[in-house]
Amino acid sequence: MNRRVVITGASSITPIGRTEPQIMENLINGVSGVRPMKTDDLLTDRLNCDVFGTVEEDIEYDFPRRSRKTMGPVAFYAGQVATEAIAQSGLTEAQLGSGDIGVAFGSTHGSPTVQRDIYRVFFQGDASRLRRIGATDYLRSMVHTTAVNITRLFGITGRVISSGTACTTSAQSIGYGYESIRFGRQEAMICGGADEYDTTTVAVFDNLLACSTRFNDSPSKTPRPFDVDRDGLVVGEGAAALVLEELEHAKRRGATILAEVIGFGCSNNGGDLILPNADGVQRTLGLALKDAQLAPHEVDLISAHATATPIGDVVEARAIHAVYGSEVPVVALKGHTGHTMGACGAIETVFLLYMMRRGVVTRSLNLDEVDPRCAEINHVLQTTDRQVKTVSVQNFAFGGVNTCLMYRAFD
Amino acid sequence: MTPEAVHEMLVEMLERLFEIKDPGLDEDLRDGYDFDSIDAIELLAEVEEQLERELTHEERKQAMEIRTLRDIENYILLMQKG
Repeated sequence: MNRRVVITGASSITPIGRTEPQIMENLINGVSGVRPMKTDDLLTDRLNCDVFGTVEEDIEYDFPRRSRKTMGPVAFYAGQVATEAIAQSGLTEAQLGSGDIGVAFGSTHGSPTVQRDIYRVFFQGDASRLRRIGATDYLRSMVHTTAVNITRLFGITGRVISSGTACTTSAQSIGYGYESIRFGRQEAMICGGADEYDTTTVAVFDNLLACSTRFNDSPSKTPRPFDVDRDGLVVGEGAAALVLEELEHAKRRGATILAEVIGFGCSNNGGDLILPNADGVQRTLGLALKDAQLAPHEVDLISAHATATPIGDVVEARAIHAVYGSEVPVVALKGHTGHTMGACGAIETVFLLYMMRRGVVTRSLNLDEVDPRCAEINHVLQTTDRQVKTVSVQNFAFGGVNTCLMYRAFD
Repeated sequence: MTPEAVHEMLVEMLERLFEIKDPGLDEDLRDGYDFDSIDAIELLAEVEEQLERELTHEERKQAMEIRTLRDIENYILLMQKG
């Protein structure tokens, strides 16, 4: 069985907005969503990095109490984008509850905000406070909280996949959701990822000297993917959801098809859990091209993972060059949003869907002077009107996990 | 606590914790307000603070049968004695 899989709904919450007009305006105008870090009265004064890719907009949620009580901040994000994507897809309550539709959704580590509340009880050293760990705290904080809260909101009874592979979380969600439909296990999948505002993630990268620290007074100037002055990543927050659906199922419903998922590659470096690995990246890009039955020159635009770490960007540029040569345009989107962790693959997919629909390719923000070591590939330095049909989204994670997704505009 | 004080405390708690506003004494909280066993456990933690004593495992289990505001009131009055 080898069925075609299309996208019939897409929505995101990002540091540069939530709606297509808002996001495209900010991409076109080079607007950054990186802002001064909010204090957490614990870690922030000690961190070297003082910026964060921040969702500033107040979001009005309309979830019933029975659902809200098992949702931490990350599940609110996930529930909201899933709600919007499902509404766009037009899937009915009966279809969602049929067992033919599943969820593939994850986050880096559930809800750190709720986890802090739980650990507060431990660190207060007072066992009598044990009962203050709420009955729902685990459900609000656990690693698959996003996925199962989406099932609860919509009565979804199909399979649940909840990848928690850090920066490849949502790319894996989309990839494994795609395979679930392609190989006939489900008719549709709600796929994506989310991560909430969290300073512990910043602390981890900060201690590894991987965070940007030189632009604390000018947040919008960082991160700087592939730029000669880049000095590390900027952690961000956000979420994105896609409704993937079997082509004939979507056609029968008369659903609007936004694009087709045509390939997925995933592999592990098989060694170091932190250092980027050119062979691993190269192999993954090759796997995705093969899965999509594409020659490299048939790809019109690559969205690079490009977190703006000094080594990671060089490794990625070299791998792209080895696979694609110097012609295929490469855009790095994290200059706008920072690194939205478990959400980034899905957010970057949504951005590319909007670019495909608008016939616009926007430049890599903050890429003012290309690092000579990253210069062998074709960076998008100017925003231009250009129709792109076939696009790729690359993501790589701690743990040595690499992913590559392939999409095509649907005629 | 007097029965009146318990009633007043519960009405406040139900609204603050569960968005349940002024339920009738014998209204089924499960049917009307999605008040389930998880909520009951949440409520017990709060009740323990008010009573300033820890409930035993058996006492906590008894609370799982609670359906109405009257049930909760009776339960607390019973626990007060215990």
